[in-house]
Amino acid sequence: MKILDKLAVLDRRIIYLLVGLAVIIPMLIPLGLPVDITRPVQNVYDKIESLTEGSIVLMSTDYDPGSEAELYPATEAIIEHCFRRNLKIYMMGLWPAGSALGERALDTLARVHGKRYGSDYVNVGYRPGGAVMLLSLGRNFRDVIRVDYTGRPIDSLELGRQVRSARDITLVMTLSAGDPGVIHWVQYFHARFGTPICAATTAIMAPRQYPYMNSGQLVGLLGGLKGAAEYETLVKRRGRGLTGMDSQSIVHVLLVLFIILGNVILINQKRKKSAPGAG
Amino acid sequence: MKRTIPLVIVFTCGFFMLTAFFIPVRFVQDMSQMLQNWYVGVAAFFVFIGIINLIKINLEKIQRKLRDWQYSFILLGFLFFMMFAGFVLRGHTAGPVFQYMFNYFYTPCSATMFSLLAFFVASASFRAFRAKTPEATLLLIAAVIVMIGRIPVGYSIWHGFPSLVEWIMTVPNTAANRGIIFGINLGLISMALRVLLGIERSYMGGGD
Amino acid sequence: MFWIGFLIISALNIEAFDTPNDDGSSITITWPADTNLPVMEIMRSLDPGRGFEKIGDVALRDSLFQDAAAARGKDYFYRLRWTDPEGEKFSNVAGPVRARIQLLNFFRLRNIGLLIAILFAVIIFYIRHARSGKKVTIRRIPGLTAVDDAIGRATEMGKPVLFVPGIMDIDEPQTIAAMSILARVAEKTAEYGTTLFVPTCHAMAMTMAQQVVKESAIRAGRPDWYNIDNIRYLTDDQFGYVSAVDGIMLRDRPATNFYLGSFYAESLILAETGHSTGAIQIAGTAMSDQLPFFVAACDYTLLGEELYAASAYLSQEPVQLGSLKGQDLGKFLFIAIIIFGVITRLLGWNFFYNLFSVQQ
Repeated sequence: MKILDKLAVLDRRIIYLLVGLAVIIPMLIPLGLPVDITRPVQNVYDKIESLTEGSIVLMSTDYDPGSEAELYPATEAIIEHCFRRNLKIYMMGLWPAGSALGERALDTLARVHGKRYGSDYVNVGYRPGGAVMLLSLGRNFRDVIRVDYTGRPIDSLELGRQVRSARDITLVMTLSAGDPGVIHWVQYFHARFGTPICAATTAIMAPRQYPYMNSGQLVGLLGGLKGAAEYETLVKRRGRGLTGMDSQSIVHVLLVLFIILGNVILINQKRKKSAPGAG
Repeated sequence: MKRTIPLVIVFTCGFFMLTAFFIPVRFVQDMSQMLQNWYVGVAAFFVFIGIINLIKINLEKIQRKLRDWQYSFILLGFLFFMMFAGFVLRGHTAGPVFQYMFNYFYTPCSATMFSLLAFFVASASFRAFRAKTPEATLLLIAAVIVMIGRIPVGYSIWHGFPSLVEWIMTVPNTAANRGIIFGINLGLISMALRVLLGIERSYMGGGD
Repeated sequence: MFWIGFLIISALNIEAFDTPNDDGSSITITWPADTNLPVMEIMRSLDPGRGFEKIGDVALRDSLFQDAAAARGKDYFYRLRWTDPEGEKFSNVAGPVRARIQLLNFFRLRNIGLLIAILFAVIIFYIRHARSGKKVTIRRIPGLTAVDDAIGRATEMGKPVLFVPGIMDIDEPQTIAAMSILARVAEKTAEYGTTLFVPTCHAMAMTMAQQVVKESAIRAGRPDWYNIDNIRYLTDDQFGYVSAVDGIMLRDRPATNFYLGSFYAESLILAETGHSTGAIQIAGTAMSDQLPFFVAACDYTLLGEELYAASAYLSQEPVQLGSLKGQDLGKFLFIAIIIFGVITRLLGWNFFYNLFSVQQ
């Protein structure tokens, strides 16, 4: 068929245009599709729900602006949940740019929930060193952290004084886009100190974390924007996760159509080759 | 001598770090930590080497008016401006100018590059996801199920889709990932032993 | 109620012991897990009858506490205190217990150390086997066999070769593996007089790459071919780096692209851009989540351990090939351990599984 021959050499810019439209149109005309909740995300939610008031959650923003679209909604949803449960947030980051992004989310939501910096949450910023730093941190936070994100002595803050070692942390929530990230928290912090770890990762990294979940080293996982959308559904928050799911749905359907079309073209080409009289 | 000293350093430090994993004595652990801190210190110093290299190459391009020298001008301009904003125009933390550049230049540019993946996944899917072999067909079917099952549309089509996706991720995907991880780490151990014993030396630039 | 309270006190038996396999700086206190009791205080004293001081808070369901502030050489006593509707309650007093230094971590030695020692022994055995002159054959790896042809293609077309050694620094084993392959690629391109671009994401990787390429040029007898400006540092930032490499691909149109090393999300961006320029692409990474993208977009892909084997394969040196054979035998050994472990667990024999339980 001529049309299939034409599609076989389709200009890739047409594909890009279709993808662009598939992303933009649902943003302008929301579909409001319901989001199902998967077990890994439910585990994270249940874990935070089970924490007693005043428990300290260490949130590690291990991502950069490139992964902001996937992980920032999860950051906001987790902070929202923690503040609603009156949990304290001790934020840090293994990536330099992550702290600025985490700070933005903390500031915004702290104002909404009337939380006070220093007693309800602190941000100690970026800490270099990866695995080595995590081992020192778990033994004695003072070895690694002396000042907070703004340069204030950590001991001048009530929450800063409360956290001395891994024992004082009830849960680690890492929002991770690569290395160093969730694997380091699991292999070094959890393995050495036993602190439970929950994670939010980009969608591409999520499959790699399933072995850790199956072995119990990871409590739960928010995978990509879908994970963030599920969590927003659980905490009843309409954020960028849920907004983005409409676009993601349409793009996924489009990708499947491209795959089907590609295979129809392949079958057509094979048929032509094996047809009698074919060159 | 030029080759021997680095090999001796690699052997000594490598085997020390390996044995330190099995010796919990504080002195040994502190030595191990010190070696790792040295690496971090050297790596931090090398940031300057990189910046110098960047400036040198782009200045040469501007001086000799090579192709696209204007972009080198823009690159160096922004490099120096960001350094000025970060080191000079600041208080206890990054100043407003640096924060502005970070929030409204760096962050959107970074996110834009990451967003290219959406387009490239589409073109790669169209071009490369073809059922040419039975294995490719199996991969294709699993990919389609996971792609549809992980979006609300999949749940709307069939409520069982997410559970099927979870099974694919938890069972065959985990099994395959574990197998790959085992193989990779065994290869890594073998390469590490070759490097430690000095059998593998090409990374140093030398012959075998 | 008193009777129930009495039962609770006498039922809560805590144990204290020197934390095993540590540097003598901690004592471990354990108790049975129970989700019904509230947060408790753990208390420590040098005397079993008095002077107890609080050293931390624990929840009963935690079932374990490590006192990392215990001084070596002193005998300590521990107990738990909590409050319930009936009032203040205490557990038994555990002790005396003293923190002792262990020179070796026997748990790690028994599990990891033994396996590594066996693996090393097997690899060294095959290295010696190869050194004795016996021929070692390994299977063909298409991606590596195509390296020479790919470089030849670039030479014929008069276009450069692009080598991307990943986005991690030289502390990443994949980068070391990539540099080993770079040495071979550089030698070939120097021999043919083809331009080689090596943009790096870290300055240390740049320095290593410069040294590798320079030495390769000397080995090929073409020291004049070496151009230091072709091996350059771009930026540490992931997406800044990939946009710069894309720019090189679109401007300079290399005929052959090598992506060897550690990659993250930028893998598909690089591969698709390279494909759009018509280059032949050979990729290799041990990042399992990036492999599908390289497989889809590149002509040849080295999967995981093939990247680590590449240097040995390309050199065809008997000693290096011998190490690959040893590695394969080690893999069979691990497969046997896994199968044995699965069978013993299915039969309800936990002794083998317990040998590998996660512990500090």
